[in-house]
Amino acid sequence: MITELIAFGIILSACLSIYLDEAIYSIASLACTIVFLALIYALNGAFYAAIFQLALGAGTLAVLFLAGEVLSEKPSREKPLKNIIFVSALALLSLLPLIFFPITVMPANFSSDIAFGSALWDLRSIDVILQGLVILTVSLGIVIILHEREGGEKR
Amino acid sequence: MNYMILSATLLAIGIYSLLSKHHLVKILISIELIAMGASMNFVLLTSPSNIALGEALLLLAFSTDTCVTAIILALLIIAAKKYGTCDLRKLAEIAESEQDENDD
Repeated sequence: MITELIAFGIILSACLSIYLDEAIYSIASLACTIVFLALIYALNGAFYAAIFQLALGAGTLAVLFLAGEVLSEKPSREKPLKNIIFVSALALLSLLPLIFFPITVMPANFSSDIAFGSALWDLRSIDVILQGLVILTVSLGIVIILHEREGGEKR
Repeated sequence: MNYMILSATLLAIGIYSLLSKHHLVKILISIELIAMGASMNFVLLTSPSNIALGEALLLLAFSTDTCVTAIILALLIIAAKKYGTCDLRKLAEIAESEQDENDD
């Protein structure tokens, strides 16, 4: 039952994050989605995944809050409460399949065959190194794009 | 199977938002939702004895997701600085008018 409630929370906050016009409310709804998703990971025994989701979500949301506050225009009129209730009902309706196929939660205290560190560094070591290279390339690319833009503005 | 329904619903919400919204912040949020819907399968569909492998794969998916977010944010900042708007329709109009000026 609790998993279905969390699933409903995920869908509802996701719907609200795209429905609400004001960027700050929208990003606050996305924060709820991230917290609910981390909860569902923790319930399934994936504690590392829950922690990573929260940590990454915190970083993304901090940047999004700043970007949303600075860059977005204020909406001309507020959405009526009736529409928000309609979106909530729609989210509930989209969860109807879960009533017919209820979610089964895996036990949190199972004995895992592989440790997380071993899975990351022994089984996927090449992936980790290549991902590091991808992140380095992307960050260098972003620095170059922003630097060129500033150079263009000066000229 | 049941988590796949949840994942597919998140994916559908994200794709709908991606196609219907025009503000870059909203597009960034919808890409986040699509990435969440896709990457939750790594953990929730692995067997309990192999969940560490699922978590490792999720970590790798997170890094790709972060890269995409960073690129869109950079584009957002550039668009806001250069044109003063983050609306894709307005940006397209500005680009069209600039193109016409260059042609003339």
